[in-house]
Amino acid sequence: MATVTNWIDHLSAEEVAGAIYPGVGSEGILVIIGFVLWIGWHVISAKQESEKLEKLARKRPGSNDWKSNVTDG
Amino acid sequence: MTDQLGALTTIFTEFYYWVTVVLMFLIHVGFCMYEVGASRYKHHQHTLMKNTMLIPLVTVTWFLFGWWIYWAFPTGPGLAPSIMNESAALITDDSAFSAKWYVPNSDLMAVNLGDHISGVFWAAFLLFSWTAASIVSGAVIERITTFAFGILAIAIGSVFWTIDAAWGWHFDGWMLKILGYHDAYASGVIHAIAGGFALGVLAVLGPRIGKFSSSGEPRNIGPRNPWLVTVGLFLIYTGFWGFYAACNIPIFDLGPEYGMEGVTYFTATNIYVTPTTLSGITMNFLMSLSGGLLAGYVVSKGDPFWTYSSGLAGIICASAGNDLYHPIQSMIIGMIGVVVAYKMHYWVERKFKIDDAVGAVAVHGYAGFAGLIICGFVLNGYPSSGYSVGAMWDGSNYAAINPLGMFIGAIIMFFVLGMIPGYIIAKVLHGMGKLRIPREVELAGLDYEIMEAAKDDEKSVASASR
Repeated sequence: MATVTNWIDHLSAEEVAGAIYPGVGSEGILVIIGFVLWIGWHVISAKQESEKLEKLARKRPGSNDWKSNVTDG
Repeated sequence: MTDQLGALTTIFTEFYYWVTVVLMFLIHVGFCMYEVGASRYKHHQHTLMKNTMLIPLVTVTWFLFGWWIYWAFPTGPGLAPSIMNESAALITDDSAFSAKWYVPNSDLMAVNLGDHISGVFWAAFLLFSWTAASIVSGAVIERITTFAFGILAIAIGSVFWTIDAAWGWHFDGWMLKILGYHDAYASGVIHAIAGGFALGVLAVLGPRIGKFSSSGEPRNIGPRNPWLVTVGLFLIYTGFWGFYAACNIPIFDLGPEYGMEGVTYFTATNIYVTPTTLSGITMNFLMSLSGGLLAGYVVSKGDPFWTYSSGLAGIICASAGNDLYHPIQSMIIGMIGVVVAYKMHYWVERKFKIDDAVGAVAVHGYAGFAGLIICGFVLNGYPSSGYSVGAMWDGSNYAAINPLGMFIGAIIMFFVLGMIPGYIIAKVLHGMGKLRIPREVELAGLDYEIMEAAKDDEKSVASASR
């Protein structure tokens, strides 16, 4: 996985390779993982939010009921 | 980097943009404080959370495709040929400023010893993206779902503003060549588009419950914490310094860049690579801020909410030409922008029943739109680029700045890339039933359950004996 194992060898090479992160060459897989995580977050968080909103809507608190929930700080 | 002077220039430029990014973070802090201060107590935490979550959403999508769009789209595509490869197609070839280098799996989109600039430049643009999304965030508080806002934030922050930046902010953009568009500090490419986008969303989203009486008269739902609003706006002013600096290139030799044989001319430039000075734009920034505050105080009769917002509107209105204006011109333009924004806000509110909770459409949209039009008159005849000067509509050279081109540019920013996409996406979300929170939740308050849980915690702690 390590792209660099010896800095002296790396920097004294005839052409210094710029990319030094682990797993050079696996960028395509990382990008796919990035897309999956991004879309997956929307799916999961949207479901959570819908459930939360529906639950509260069913309770039907009055527009001033929140005042009884104000804490003393 | 093997020679010291080259290394110093590169590391200075890297550090310069890095500092602007840190400063610009304050814009977002300011927007968050401002929005929380403007919202009602029962919605505070969700209001903050919504604006917070745009940070990761826009950042990730900016990495995945937003940055690529900026580099790929300057030609339209199909509207004016690139000066790099003379093609009007998407710029994805092997040229130096091609989008090819900015696909997310490029090895330049990471720690790379051969490139010290791309990452900080990416980040500076990303902070602009957060700002665009955050402008929309304020307008829609207290009734939009976090899901819908997330989608809208990505649309404006990682897609539509990026397209406008490629068209009207990139040194190779078709709007410079065909229209003579000039927008040095983003009156249009950030503010008019984000204001227009917000207006499109608001037209579908509708007003907060209680905003309008049964006869259609608007009611004031003023800020609940004016101090938080004040500090928030001061922080936005502060971050705006970073924004101005980030829109410049700190040091550039224009002689070889413009192909002038034997000429060496080092200077700071604006984003179009035409000369300006950090010194001069600092004066203009402060004078347009002052003009905005002065006009806002008078036009709103000393209303603190509008006076502070007007400082921002003043800067936004003058920003298109603040690389070249005289400071007094900046001040006057800032004043005009504030009057336009203030009057338009109340006219649109009454006429179309639009509930823009924080005045975002006015401060960013109308002031930005006005700033572009004014710039077309005040800077009429200046070249829009240093590379070449040509006729309007031609497209093979760069047209000079002119009133008609700037007016068309303002229409493109506010309506074509702002309001229309905002309206369409909001319509789709509305059709899915995902745009607006249920009426019962809006009345109860988005934070109802969090507050209820906090109260239960408090009771159990208060009744504890050990």
